[in-house]
Amino acid sequence: MLKKTSRREFVRHSATVAAGVFVIPEIIPSSALGMGGKTAPSNRVVMGAIGTGSQGMANMRDFLRLKDAVQFVAVCDVDSLRLERAKNTVDAANKNTDCRTYWDFREFLEKETPDAVSIALPDHWHGIIYTEAVNKKLNVYGEKPICRTIHDGQTIVAAVKKNNIIWQTGSWQRSLPNFRRGCELAINGRAGKISRIEVGLPDGGRTIGTPPVKEVPPELNWEMWLGPAPKVPYRGVSHWDWRWILDYSGGQLTDWAGHHIDIANWGAGLEHTGPVEIYGTGVYPPEGIYNAPVEYDFICKYANGIEMRVANASRLEHGMGTTWFGDKGWVHTDRGNRLTASQPAILEEVIGENEIHLYNSENHWQNFIDCVHSGKPAIAPIEVAYRAISVALLGEIAMTTGEAIKWDPEKEEIVGNPRAGRLLGRPYRQPWTLPNV
Amino acid sequence: MKKQHLILILTAFLLATLPSCRKSAEYKALIITGQSQHNWKTSSQAVKQILDETGLFSSKIMISPAKGEDMSGFSPDFSKYDLVVMDYEGDAWTEEAHNSLIDYLNNGGGVVIYNSKSFPGAKAPENVSVSKRHEFEIRTAISDHPVTKGLPVRWLHPDDEIVQGIELAGENLQVLATAFSDTSFSGSGRREPVLVARNYGQGRIFATLIGLPDEKDNKALHCAGSIVALQRGAEWAATGDVTQTVPGDFPTAAAVVLRPDFKGMTLDEAFELIAGYDIQKSTRHYTFIQNEIRRAGGDTEKLLDIEKRMVRVLTGSEATEESKKLMLRELSWMGSDYCISAVRDLAAVPGLQDEVKYTLDRLNPE
Repeated sequence: MLKKTSRREFVRHSATVAAGVFVIPEIIPSSALGMGGKTAPSNRVVMGAIGTGSQGMANMRDFLRLKDAVQFVAVCDVDSLRLERAKNTVDAANKNTDCRTYWDFREFLEKETPDAVSIALPDHWHGIIYTEAVNKKLNVYGEKPICRTIHDGQTIVAAVKKNNIIWQTGSWQRSLPNFRRGCELAINGRAGKISRIEVGLPDGGRTIGTPPVKEVPPELNWEMWLGPAPKVPYRGVSHWDWRWILDYSGGQLTDWAGHHIDIANWGAGLEHTGPVEIYGTGVYPPEGIYNAPVEYDFICKYANGIEMRVANASRLEHGMGTTWFGDKGWVHTDRGNRLTASQPAILEEVIGENEIHLYNSENHWQNFIDCVHSGKPAIAPIEVAYRAISVALLGEIAMTTGEAIKWDPEKEEIVGNPRAGRLLGRPYRQPWTLPNV
Repeated sequence: MKKQHLILILTAFLLATLPSCRKSAEYKALIITGQSQHNWKTSSQAVKQILDETGLFSSKIMISPAKGEDMSGFSPDFSKYDLVVMDYEGDAWTEEAHNSLIDYLNNGGGVVIYNSKSFPGAKAPENVSVSKRHEFEIRTAISDHPVTKGLPVRWLHPDDEIVQGIELAGENLQVLATAFSDTSFSGSGRREPVLVARNYGQGRIFATLIGLPDEKDNKALHCAGSIVALQRGAEWAATGDVTQTVPGDFPTAAAVVLRPDFKGMTLDEAFELIAGYDIQKSTRHYTFIQNEIRRAGGDTEKLLDIEKRMVRVLTGSEATEESKKLMLRELSWMGSDYCISAVRDLAAVPGLQDEVKYTLDRLNPE
């Protein structure tokens, strides 16, 4: 059994045996030579994981499920219990005990040189850690939403462009056939010329009020968990439930923007632009530490006349998912392999050879690995992810200010409203700063 | 429990012939009570306070003869009122009194039916029941009616019964809000109406089936959602329109909101109480202020008024550091030049240095 290690180390080891490879082939399993349909270790993508909570581990399992495609070598988390769990998973997959662990991403990025890193963190950390990882020229599988603020997003996009790495956003709906088919029907005009889109995202839930301040459990580095966010006392809320707190997330709206808004953009040809006007209202919890809107309903007007309404599902006739409305009907798609249309015949339509055929990926994680090998863009690249979350973040600004926001999607700035413009970014708490690209 | 068909209440009226003509800013309301399956002494006083709290109504309670007593002398003159609230469920009225109320409606009057499933002269239905008391979610079914416009689509209501099995029919009748009656609380397993409106010619009827008093803490009665729904429904029934804004303390899907004194929060009160905020207390005054900021919708005059109040918190020697942190977070985006010196003055306070830096970084003054 070959010692599984980083690709660079493997190259050094394999050079020493190269001369004898034909003499003693039996010491190298055939799968390591890429025979028998398996990937040679040298072709496995060496990976690390930063953020090993529920989503980080789900992604790791999805990568490990790809037969011999990746080898994880290091993991990083601010919670030592989660870190240990992640190491155990990696070690079990590697059949050794070599997985390296870090609680500080800076040390991880300094010492580790994987081909790619899978990152799944609370949104308020994305600006710094995505940018630092990309600046290290690592290929990144990064969770949506890719940023907590527009300024964070602009920095990450600039870093990816400059460093020319492969970026895959965790917008995995793109790799499911019903979403892709729905998008192809919409973008090829099978519902007619699209004038309106509705995007239904989950309703918000109950608050927990203001729980008492608690002692930080020994496994959690609370200061590092907060990072650039304002310093607040620990109240027993961190993992998972950070998404209901505006310091770290925008609630269901921003959590799901990278799914159904992303799909809406893909099917309407809006994935490289943004709205020009945004207005609407939110419903916020009456009190408590969960302060993200539990309902939201806003309109985005695009330069080409399309109006996109984004709302919590209870407000929309089609509920969850994306609906494109054209002058001939509508097409709706959602999870659970849902694809429906105003007329069943729309769903039978064949997309002709000269029409638009969208990027096809059948497995989101495999697509990333394939692109790391080929150097081609992945199905959910950084800019389209940025454009998807921008819609939600601009909606958030419209709801926060109670104003109609004018947005310049080319210059990527709010027009004529300095007060709203301040909400495009957030100052980071010292010593953290948004990295330079 | 004897229950009556709301269908009869809402369909028993003829087309009105006279248009209503109201120019006064204040409306007279008559609350009729005296017989009910709930504690009508509690509820009628509550309804009076709730209506009068709007500043739109001046209301009076009229008590009917007690159950089983002679009803022949009970014949209110409805024509003197802009609104009649029926907090009454009991013995049949005389035909004269009954017809007088119908005439009133026909002539453009407004009627609110408050938690009574019966109406004088109507027949008893057979299939109406109530669930056990519990907290449930109310869903707005029609969002563009004057009563429900701007309300959350989902909001929580505490410790109340859901009336189930009421059949609704008739023209111009709209179920404005419903609640799912869960079988685990002896519910029907269906969505049941909780707020109903009906236009009938010039007359209007608004029915609310929530906010029922109990003999304990009256949580349902004190629910800000049922209070505000009643206030809006009453204005609509009286005038055909609703001028009241949706208050910042309206409950949402996140939490129930109680108004133990039936009064809504004011900005004055919110600022008075925010100054005493510490990290173990509820943030409800802060979220109320945030709601007022959103509602200002960029109006610089309104925002400056709020900013001045915030600056008073920043400069107040009584105000806690934690309250100042909250103010600084809001000012960081909505503040103007007005707040800058007060913010800078706090830079020397050790516990506020992060927040002051945050605010000044964002405001980026000259």
